[in-house]
Amino acid sequence: MSRKKLSRREFVAATALTSAALITAPYVRGAYAAGKLSMAFWDHWVPGANKASEELVKAWAEKEKVEVTIDYVPSQGNKNILTIAAEAQAKSGHDIFAMPTWWCHSNSEQLERVDDIMGPIIAENGAANGTVQYLGQLDGKWLGVPASVGSQIKGPCSRIDLMKKHANIDVQEMYPAGSPPKADNWTFDTFLKAAEACHKAGVPFGIGLGETSDSVDTAGAIFQSFGAQLVDAKGNLTVKTDAVRQSLEFYKKLIAFLPPDAAAWDDSSNNKWLVSGKGAMIMNPPSAWAVAKRDAPQVAEQCWTHGFPAGPKGRFAPYLPYFWSIWNFSKNKEAAKSLLVHLSKPASIEKMCVASGGYDLPAYEKLTTLKVWQEEAPPKGTLYHYPNPYKHQTLSIAASPAPPKVAQQIYFQATLTKMCLRYYQGEAMEKTLAWAEGECEGFMRS
Amino acid sequence: MVDVTFQPNRVAGSQARKRGGMRNALRRKSTVAFVMTLPLILLILILVVYPAFYSLHLATLNKSMAKFVGFGNFEFLFRRDTFWLVVKQSCIFAISAVIFKALIGFIVAHFVHNVPAKKQRKWRGMLLVPWVIPPAMSTLAWLWLFDPSYSAFNYTLSFLGIGPIPWTGDAAWARFSVILVNVWYGAPFFMIMYLAALKSVPEQLYEAAAIDGANWWQRIWYVTLPMMRNIIAITTLFSLIVTFANFDIVRILTAGGPLDHTHIFATWAFRVGIEGSDVPLGASVSLFMVPILAIAAVFILRDISKRGNEA
Amino acid sequence: MSTVTIDKSGPTRKVKYGSMSRDRAWALRWSYFFLVLFAVFSLTPPFYMLITSLKSSAEISAATNPWWVYHPTLENYLGLLTSNQFLRFFWNSAWVSIIVVTITMLISVPAAFALARMKFWGSATLATGVFLTYLIPDTLLFIPLFKMFAVFGDWTGIQLINRWYVLLLVYPTLTVPFCTWIMIGYFASIPKELDEAAIIDGASWFQTLTRIFIPVALPGLIAATIFAFTVSWAQFLYPLVFTTSTDQLVLPVGIITTLIKGDVFNWGQIMTGALLGAAPPLIIYAFLMDYYIAGLTAGATKG
Repeated sequence: MSRKKLSRREFVAATALTSAALITAPYVRGAYAAGKLSMAFWDHWVPGANKASEELVKAWAEKEKVEVTIDYVPSQGNKNILTIAAEAQAKSGHDIFAMPTWWCHSNSEQLERVDDIMGPIIAENGAANGTVQYLGQLDGKWLGVPASVGSQIKGPCSRIDLMKKHANIDVQEMYPAGSPPKADNWTFDTFLKAAEACHKAGVPFGIGLGETSDSVDTAGAIFQSFGAQLVDAKGNLTVKTDAVRQSLEFYKKLIAFLPPDAAAWDDSSNNKWLVSGKGAMIMNPPSAWAVAKRDAPQVAEQCWTHGFPAGPKGRFAPYLPYFWSIWNFSKNKEAAKSLLVHLSKPASIEKMCVASGGYDLPAYEKLTTLKVWQEEAPPKGTLYHYPNPYKHQTLSIAASPAPPKVAQQIYFQATLTKMCLRYYQGEAMEKTLAWAEGECEGFMRS
Repeated sequence: MVDVTFQPNRVAGSQARKRGGMRNALRRKSTVAFVMTLPLILLILILVVYPAFYSLHLATLNKSMAKFVGFGNFEFLFRRDTFWLVVKQSCIFAISAVIFKALIGFIVAHFVHNVPAKKQRKWRGMLLVPWVIPPAMSTLAWLWLFDPSYSAFNYTLSFLGIGPIPWTGDAAWARFSVILVNVWYGAPFFMIMYLAALKSVPEQLYEAAAIDGANWWQRIWYVTLPMMRNIIAITTLFSLIVTFANFDIVRILTAGGPLDHTHIFATWAFRVGIEGSDVPLGASVSLFMVPILAIAAVFILRDISKRGNEA
Repeated sequence: MSTVTIDKSGPTRKVKYGSMSRDRAWALRWSYFFLVLFAVFSLTPPFYMLITSLKSSAEISAATNPWWVYHPTLENYLGLLTSNQFLRFFWNSAWVSIIVVTITMLISVPAAFALARMKFWGSATLATGVFLTYLIPDTLLFIPLFKMFAVFGDWTGIQLINRWYVLLLVYPTLTVPFCTWIMIGYFASIPKELDEAAIIDGASWFQTLTRIFIPVALPGLIAATIFAFTVSWAQFLYPLVFTTSTDQLVLPVGIITTLIKGDVFNWGQIMTGALLGAAPPLIIYAFLMDYYIAGLTAGATKG
C-alpha cells in the first residue's frame, strides 16, 4: 500500500508541474493556447436540452482558446455513477464531472474545492438552498458548483381532468397560474382519498416503489413530512421511532391504491404511466409532460405540475441537485473554474433552463421566477408552480439530514421504499424496523 | 475425445523408439512446444489465476482498502439477511432454470428427431435462434414485453380476462420472469446437444427394442437415456456453472428488484462492489461462487479421467 | 463434427407393421404441433423486436395492438444508422471482435497443436488447466480485474480503465480456453501417420502445423473462429465495468446505457438497436449454421 501512496503523490506532483507549465509556458501559441478541457455533463432527458450547454461551452471555449470535449453521460442504469466510480479508481478521466446528489461527498477526497468561485457566484445569484448546501459542502467548503442542468423538484404532476372527475379536486384552482397556492386542504388525508378514488376509477396514481431515485424521492418527502429519519444528523440510529412507524402506516394505506407492479418501477415507468394515460398523477419533474407533448398531446394538455401535499410535520418536496465538480487530477483546473463561472452566470442559467423546457431548476434564490415557467404550455401555466415560487414547501432530499455518506447508502440502496414494501407485504412493524436498523448499521461501515 | 489429449505421450514414445537416440530432438521439441503454449500460459496466469487470488486478497481489506480485516467482510455478510437471500436465490435460480432447460431441451430434441431428416435442419435452425442472439439484446426485448404500462403479454392476456400480471413487479413473478428468460435463452443449447447425442444412438437398438415390444417410454428409459447419460451429465454441469454465474439477464431485466428478490451473486456483487464502491465486499460476495464451481470442476475432472482410463 | 456429418435419416426408415406406421403418423403430427409451439416461444422476442422497431414513438405510446404495425416507418433505422454515436458503437464492437478473434487464433492454435501432438513436461496438466479456465466465469473476475487495472494505471501511468483496448486484454480470457480446447480435439482426431510422415520428410513442427494440421482441421478452425466472434460480440459485463465514455463503448453496453434514457422512452429505437446488435451473429449463423453447431457440440462432447 505504501508504494501506491508514494506513486500517487508523485503523480499529483507531476500533475501540478504540468499544469503549472501549461499556465506559465510562454512559447505556447496558437488557437488553443490555454490547453484542453474535457467535461462529462448529465445527458438531459428533455429532447434538445443538451444543445444549450454545448453552445455555452463552445462560446466560452472560443473566447478562452481552450480545446473542449463534452461527453453527455446518462443516468439511466446508473451509468453516470459507474463512470464516476471508474474515474475515481483510475484517477483519470474528465476534468469536470456532473456529480448527482450524493456523489460529491462520496468522492470528496478527490475533488477540488471551489470556494474561490462560489463566493462571487452566490453574491450574484443569491444564496443556494439548504439541500444544495447539505449535499455540496464538506466542512463548510464547496465540493462543486451547483449545476442548474438536471437539478429538479419531483413534485406531483396531475391530470386536470381525471383529478376533477374522480377525486373532485381542481388542481388548477388549488395551484392557480400566476398567484400563490390555495392549498391548505392539500394534505396527506386529501391525497390518500384522491388516491383511493382514482384507484377505484381505474386510473391509479403512478408512484413507484422501486429502487431508483423517483421512487426513493417520493418516499423521502413523505417520511420527512412525518418528521421521520432513519439516521439523524449526528449519525445516531433513529429507526425505531413513532414518526417512522406513522410513515410506514401511511405508506401501507397508499400502496393499496398504487399499480400492482409499482415495486419494479424505474425512473421511466411513471413517465410511461402518465403518457399512456393510465394514471391521474405521478411524481416527476416536467420531463414526462414534455414527452407527452411530443407523443401524446391530448395527455399533455391535461397536465398540471404543482406542490406536494402536506403532512403532520410540514410540506416537503424532493429536490435533487447536480453539481459540476472538478477532479483533483484535472490538469487544467483554472480553465475548469473559469468555465464553471461562465456557466453560472444568470444569462447562461436561464438559457439552459429554457432549453430544457423549464425542467432545470437553479439552486439560487434569485433565479426561481424565470419567465420560462410562466410561459410553458399547454396548458398555459402548467409549470408555474414547479419551481416552488412561493416557497410554501421545504425542499429536501430523502435520507437527509443523516451524515451524507450514510444517507447516500440509505438513498442508493432504497432502504425507505424497501421498508414500505416489506411492511405492506405483511411483515410485522417491529421486524421491518429491525431490518432497517440492521441495514443502516451496515451503511455506517467504513 | 478427451482421451486423445493424453495420447501424445504414446506418439512421442513410438517416435523415439523409431528414431532412437533422439534425445536432442526431443529436447528441442519440448522447447518448441513450450514456446507455442507460452502465450496461453501467460494469459491464464496473468488474467485469470492472478486476479482470482487477488480477489481473495481484496476480500480481506476494509471498505477504503487501507486496512486488513481478515474475515471481517465475511462476518459482516453472514449477519445480513440480504446475503442469505442472495444465496437462496442464486440456488433457486440456477437449479430451476437448469432443470427446465434440460427438460425442454430433451423434449424438443425428441420432436425434432421425429421429423423427417430433410426438415430437421429447418426446425433446428429456427429453434436455435434464442441462443444466437446476444443475451443482452434479447433481454431488452423481454424487458419491453414485460413493461408495466405497455406489456404485450398483458395486452394479449387481457382478452382472456387475465391480468394485468406484474411480470417484474411482484417477487414471485419477477423470479418466474427471470427464470423464464434464462430458460428461453438456454434451452436451445440443450436441444442441440441432445439432438447430436440422439443421432449417435444406433438405430438397431431401437429396432431391437421395438421387436421386444417396448413402448416409447420404455425405449426412452432403457435405450435413449442410458446412451445419452454422459452428454446429459456434462451439459447439465456446464449449464449449471453458466447459469449460476449469470449476470446480464438479471441485471437488465430486474436489476435485482423488487426488494432484492431476484439478486444473484453476480448482480449483487456488482451492485455492492462497483456501484456501491465497496470493492472488498463485492469481491467477497463473488467469491461465494467458488464452492459451486469447485464441485462442478471435480465432477468434470472425474469424468475426464474416467474416460481417459477407458481409452 | 460427428453431429453434422453423420446425418442418418434413421427415424424415417419405415417398419412395415400397420399399427406401427399409424403410431408413427400420430407421433409425427404431435411432433409438428409441439415444434410449432416451441418455435413460437423461441421467435416471439425477436419478432417483437422487429415489430416494435418499425413503429414511431407516437404509435407506441398510443398503446395500440402491440403485435401489429399500423403505420410502419423506417425512421428508427434511419435515426440510428445516421447517428455517429451508434455507428461508433458498431465500429468499436466490430474492431474489438475482429482483433480478439485474431489474438485468440494466434494463441490457441499453436497451443492446441503443442498440447495435442507434442508431449512436454506438464502438458497433460496444462490441457486440463485450460479446460478448467473455461469454467471460471467472468462474474468472478470482474472486480479484481477492475482493481488490478486501476492499480496498474497508478504504477505505470498506462491507463486501461475506460479505454476500449482493455477489452482486447480481457476478452481472450473467455475465448482462448474454449477455442484451445476444441482445437485440441480436432487436431487429435487427425491421423498420427500424417504428421509422422511429415516430420520424417524433414518438415519442422511449424511447417507441420501450417501445411498439414491447419488445412485438415479447417472446419474446426472455422467453428472456433465463429465461437470467438460471437462471444466477443455478445460480452456485456466486462465492457459495462471497464468502459464508460460513449466513444469507448461497444454495442450491447452502448445500446443499454445510452438509448435507454430515464424519462424519454424511445423503445422503437432501442428495439432497432437491439436488432442491429443481434444482426451480425444472426447473419453468421444463417450462413454458417453447420459450423456454428459443430463448434457448439464439439465443446461439450469433447469435454
